[in-house]
Amino acid sequence: MSNIYIPHKARIASIKQETADIKSFQFELLDSEVRKNFKWKSGQFLILSVFGVGEATFTFANPQTRAEYVECSIKKTGLVTEALHDLEVGDIVALRGPYGNWFPFEKFKGQNLLFVGGGIGIAAIRSPIEYSLDTRNDFKDITILYGGRSPLDICYFDKFDEWQGKKANLVLTADKGSEGWKHKVGFVPAVLKEMKPSRDNCTVITCGPPIMIKFVLKELTDLGFAPEQIVTTLEMKMKCGLGKCGRCNIQQLYVCKDGPVFDYAEIKKLPDEF
Amino acid sequence: MQNKLITQENLKALVNELAASNDVFAPKRENENTVSFGKINSFDEYVPGVLLTNTTVKDKVYLQSEQLFQYELKKDTVEFKEKAPGKEAVIFGGRPCDARGFDVIDKLFNWSGYEDGPYTGGRKNTTIITVSCEKPELTCFCTSFAGGSPADGKGSDILLTPVSGKFLAEVLTERGEKLAAKYSKYFTDASDAETAAKAEFAKAAETKITKKLDLAAVKKNLDSSFDSPYWDTVHLPCVKCGACTYVCPTCYCFDITEKKFGYLNGERNRTWDSCMSEMFTKMAGGHNPRTDTKRRFRQRFMHKFRYHVDNFKEELCTGCGRCIRRCPVGIDIRKVVEEAK
Repeated sequence: MSNIYIPHKARIASIKQETADIKSFQFELLDSEVRKNFKWKSGQFLILSVFGVGEATFTFANPQTRAEYVECSIKKTGLVTEALHDLEVGDIVALRGPYGNWFPFEKFKGQNLLFVGGGIGIAAIRSPIEYSLDTRNDFKDITILYGGRSPLDICYFDKFDEWQGKKANLVLTADKGSEGWKHKVGFVPAVLKEMKPSRDNCTVITCGPPIMIKFVLKELTDLGFAPEQIVTTLEMKMKCGLGKCGRCNIQQLYVCKDGPVFDYAEIKKLPDEF
Repeated sequence: MQNKLITQENLKALVNELAASNDVFAPKRENENTVSFGKINSFDEYVPGVLLTNTTVKDKVYLQSEQLFQYELKKDTVEFKEKAPGKEAVIFGGRPCDARGFDVIDKLFNWSGYEDGPYTGGRKNTTIITVSCEKPELTCFCTSFAGGSPADGKGSDILLTPVSGKFLAEVLTERGEKLAAKYSKYFTDASDAETAAKAEFAKAAETKITKKLDLAAVKKNLDSSFDSPYWDTVHLPCVKCGACTYVCPTCYCFDITEKKFGYLNGERNRTWDSCMSEMFTKMAGGHNPRTDTKRRFRQRFMHKFRYHVDNFKEELCTGCGRCIRRCPVGIDIRKVVEEAK
């Protein structure tokens, strides 16, 4: 009998305060056997346990090519995330996974990649961004558009040296600027419209708040992108991550097992409310 | 295995012997008006005439709330402790629709590449001895489903059907064979005539079922009606009590929660949940894809007769009719799915 609900023990190896309400955590799996066999792919997710509080679902923020630790960037939003923000380096947590499907990078080979992220959605596309940088020769141009509500809400400043320059092109925007902000000001979809990316031989990977996704999809469609060229990750309330607890379904699909990565052609077949 | 025969007296002796060494759950009187599945210590506690117990028998395997594991935080690590496996159990006197419910959710707990140990562990420990129904009621609609019948053995290990003052015992699984072999002194071999009498019994019982759904038509209607205004009004009587989901032999959705004992100890639990609750899909941060009763109500019926069929090629319903009887406002699942358009 296999108890699929028992998680792997882990220790918090580092914590980085990204913004006022977002922290990046590195988790180290305690058991060396587990650590050796714990392999994931960009796009998959894990379920993290904070003892005394419960479990919550997060995406892997780092790719399989940088797998020394399990990394998650977590915004303080609910009970579990609030408790996580109170933990310190060395504290014991646990995690189970990896679950779900992943970005089909083999299909993107030889293409231009455009990443569009907003808010904490950047955590979900940091992993595919870094994966594509690590397999750089497989792709042509890599462009990253990332926006936050304000300059203070932008994470990953320490990664931007790698994200812009020889390997990729980074465009930052804030809904509202501030003094000293040298980047764009405006909503992500508006900046996207201005950038006028070419649809030729290009795949877009996007993640962000539902309202951003909605308008990003509209802009991309206006620019002539086909639904199959746009890939995103969906989120739904999940408890088990194993296709059993019955709540993350969108019609007959379970986000935890059939997703979380879907292309826009698949999403278009689903009802509007998602 | 060849069909067996067991007399009333031997059945009584068998159940008594089983109860001496196993947990035997059978329809048992809880109070004047209520019969539910409960642990019996002797056959005399069994209430044989009841067609539908108050609640489903599902909770004897898939507990309403169960511990997944306990934890204890130590310096630099954490220890997990799993609860010991339960005693061998027998579910006696359930009905074909109850047993079929296990068959339906067994598949769910084994699909998607993960076997759910906390469920399947209890399931493998349980032998199900079912009794065919002589007099189905107006809310029964088991014959709507493939192979469904008041005398169908799907999900049962042994099916008992009253035949000429005795019971024909069809031994249907390895677990059933093990039990029949162990207690062979109570059984005799059944003749062809007795087996034929069972077929007659089934036919007679089936004709008493007044409602049969055309499931192909239901599926077709549900496939095309997600955005239909039908759902704007059909949910209006619903008071969101969720009773329908709690008495259902196939509703399986659950929540995972944590119980803390002091700072260092606690346990993780699994508890039945209900798609009729607002919290069911509410995410951290407040976003909720099923914001209102209409969406939750639609989800329940779509799940049972459309989505689950897409994934498992069978309905998430066995036609027991408990939800119809328990609904405080008289919502009839048959009518809801049949009239969807």
